[in-house]
Amino acid sequence: MSTVTFDPASLEQLQQQKSTRPWRKKPTKFTASVSLAVVIPALIVAALFVTSDIPVPILMVVIYLPLQLIASAVAALITRGTRGVADSMIIVNAIGASLFSVIVLASVIGSLIVRGLRALSPHFLFQNSVYISPSTPLDYGGIGHSLVGTLLIVFIASLISVPIGVATAVYITEVRGRAVPYVRFFVQAMSGVPSVVAGLFILTIVVATGAFNQSAFAGGLAYAILMLPTVARTAEEVLKLVPDDLRTGALALGSTRARTVLRVVLPAARTGIVTAIILGVARVIGETAPLLLAAGNNDQTVVNPFGSPISSVPTYIFNNVALPYPDAVARAWGSALVLIILVAILFTLARVLGRGRVSR
Amino acid sequence: MSTTEYEGVMELDIEGIEQSALHQVGPTEMETRDLSVWFGHRKVLEGVNISFPKQTVTALIGPSGCGKSTFIRTLNRLHELIPGAALAGAVLYEGQDIYDGDVDPVHIRLKIGMVFQKPNPFPSMTIRGNVLSGLKLSGMKRDNHDDIVEQTLTAAGLWNEVKDRLGNAAGDLSGGQQQRLVIARALAVQPHVLLMDEPCSALDPASTLKIEETIRELSKEVTIIIVTHNMQQAVRVSDYTAFFLAEEGSPGHVVEQGATTEIFGNPQEQRTLDYVNGRFG
Ligand SMILES: Nc1ncnc2c1ncn2[C@@H]1O[C@H](COP(=O)(O)OP(=O)(O)OP(=O)(O)O)[C@@H](O)[C@H]1O
Ligand SMILES: [Mg+2]
Repeated sequence: MSTVTFDPASLEQLQQQKSTRPWRKKPTKFTASVSLAVVIPALIVAALFVTSDIPVPILMVVIYLPLQLIASAVAALITRGTRGVADSMIIVNAIGASLFSVIVLASVIGSLIVRGLRALSPHFLFQNSVYISPSTPLDYGGIGHSLVGTLLIVFIASLISVPIGVATAVYITEVRGRAVPYVRFFVQAMSGVPSVVAGLFILTIVVATGAFNQSAFAGGLAYAILMLPTVARTAEEVLKLVPDDLRTGALALGSTRARTVLRVVLPAARTGIVTAIILGVARVIGETAPLLLAAGNNDQTVVNPFGSPISSVPTYIFNNVALPYPDAVARAWGSALVLIILVAILFTLARVLGRGRVSR
Repeated sequence: MSTTEYEGVMELDIEGIEQSALHQVGPTEMETRDLSVWFGHRKVLEGVNISFPKQTVTALIGPSGCGKSTFIRTLNRLHELIPGAALAGAVLYEGQDIYDGDVDPVHIRLKIGMVFQKPNPFPSMTIRGNVLSGLKLSGMKRDNHDDIVEQTLTAAGLWNEVKDRLGNAAGDLSGGQQQRLVIARALAVQPHVLLMDEPCSALDPASTLKIEETIRELSKEVTIIIVTHNMQQAVRVSDYTAFFLAEEGSPGHVVEQGATTEIFGNPQEQRTLDYVNGRFG
């Protein structure tokens, strides 16, 4: 038997090798039919857009989407045979659906920018609305007092709902006590409480009884009711993802249940817990009804959480958006824009905070 | 098949056997009495009587599913964490039944450490933090943390590989390194007994040898109980061996136990002979 030896390329040749990605090479037929499948429906729709006055959403959904589906299917049939057709359907639909949600979000933000951008200015963020009437031009006044209010109320709500929510999740996943089904049911039921009911509840038992004024604290209580189920349920899901190996490992080192939860399980789930908090905040930050009832309104900047009624961004929007003064309406839209930016900042912050994973 | 095919397996490490035979039999550290174990209504172990002399290494061998892990987890009261778990009989540690009503499982687990089959370092801690985690978790006070970290990591054969990156995340280590890390972690709380459930099944031959050296070294101070599927390993590291078996449909039990030299060199039971020679399981 003779051995076949492979004659290696010379070293020089090897050094001159260029890296390639052979799997990216596509047959010409493929490129041609795919580009046609992309271009033809787009051209038809562009033509219709120019010549007719069919509203854009209808144009996209009723004409473009079916056209694109057919075109892609034909392209798939040519390049990959019948097997490719189903694939192409799924891909087109998936891209279409994701584009749809991006477009919805973009148009929400777009409309906020169009109507509210002119209200934005440094003083809009920092000044309050004392001496400002709906007809005051945009050169004066702002929502500083509402921003402070919203932050204060959300902070109070978090202070109350995060410990309780996380503790509830710990009870469900770590303590696994006998009441777990009831607790879970209760939390689930709580997530169905309409926000206006939470506001009414606090109004009745906290404000009407004279225990506290309409205030950041009362508003925070109402928000806490709404935040709690979100925090608890998200935290529960996150704690469930922590592998049991870690719990057993800690217990095998002579740890108590409590230390296991505090030092191993919760830290392992830290990123997820932060997400739970953020989702809770995002759930409530735009809620208007509970604050109209429990926090009230104020043109001044209030920092005392207990003393007096306090403004917030959603109630500010509510109070201004329907006024018959263009500048007041612009202020409302501007506030909405600020609110959205605030949420975006919160999410980014959560990402960044969640990234540092390891501690001593 | 002829028996000669198994002669290769029969060539055991005679030197190792002779060494272990020289080991002095000391007083008993741990012992089980008529231990039977259930998961719900299913009995998985029956009537296990084994005693573990102080500062020796005992290997638990037997086919998959015969209850070795279950057994070892009853020795440090981890078994009871599983819903539906139950047992009968007694587990004595220093003469006391660890399942007595007034015994604190936390205290038991601190004295009887464990290394699991799958490495389970704490992902939220650094390498150093992991080594010291037992101290924090159990509230144990020990000085000179730097020394503890170096000693235990050296004992686990990991020091040289990680000494420059003790502050890195434990999750960045390879599987085998993680396993040695959790061995160091178990050693840092100075257990009297160390339970090891197939500690080398995720390791390469070199790390396995390191761990085996560590086991031999540790056995001067610690009583070690190790589950292994590797017959050579059992011979290399253990003084005593217990052979578990769960026959068709019946709970697992100990078929034969005794000095490792006897179990591997001169077993009394045909089933033991068959198993250690790789004829089933
Ligand atoms: N959590 C559990 N719940 C119910 N039954 C279990 C549980 N853990 C193990 N068992 C059963 O107990 C028996 C013994 O399992 P065990 O894990 O102790 O075997 P083993 O000897 O360690 O096997 P291996 O060598 O594969 O690790 C098996 O039949 C298994 O199905
Ligand atoms: Mg096992």
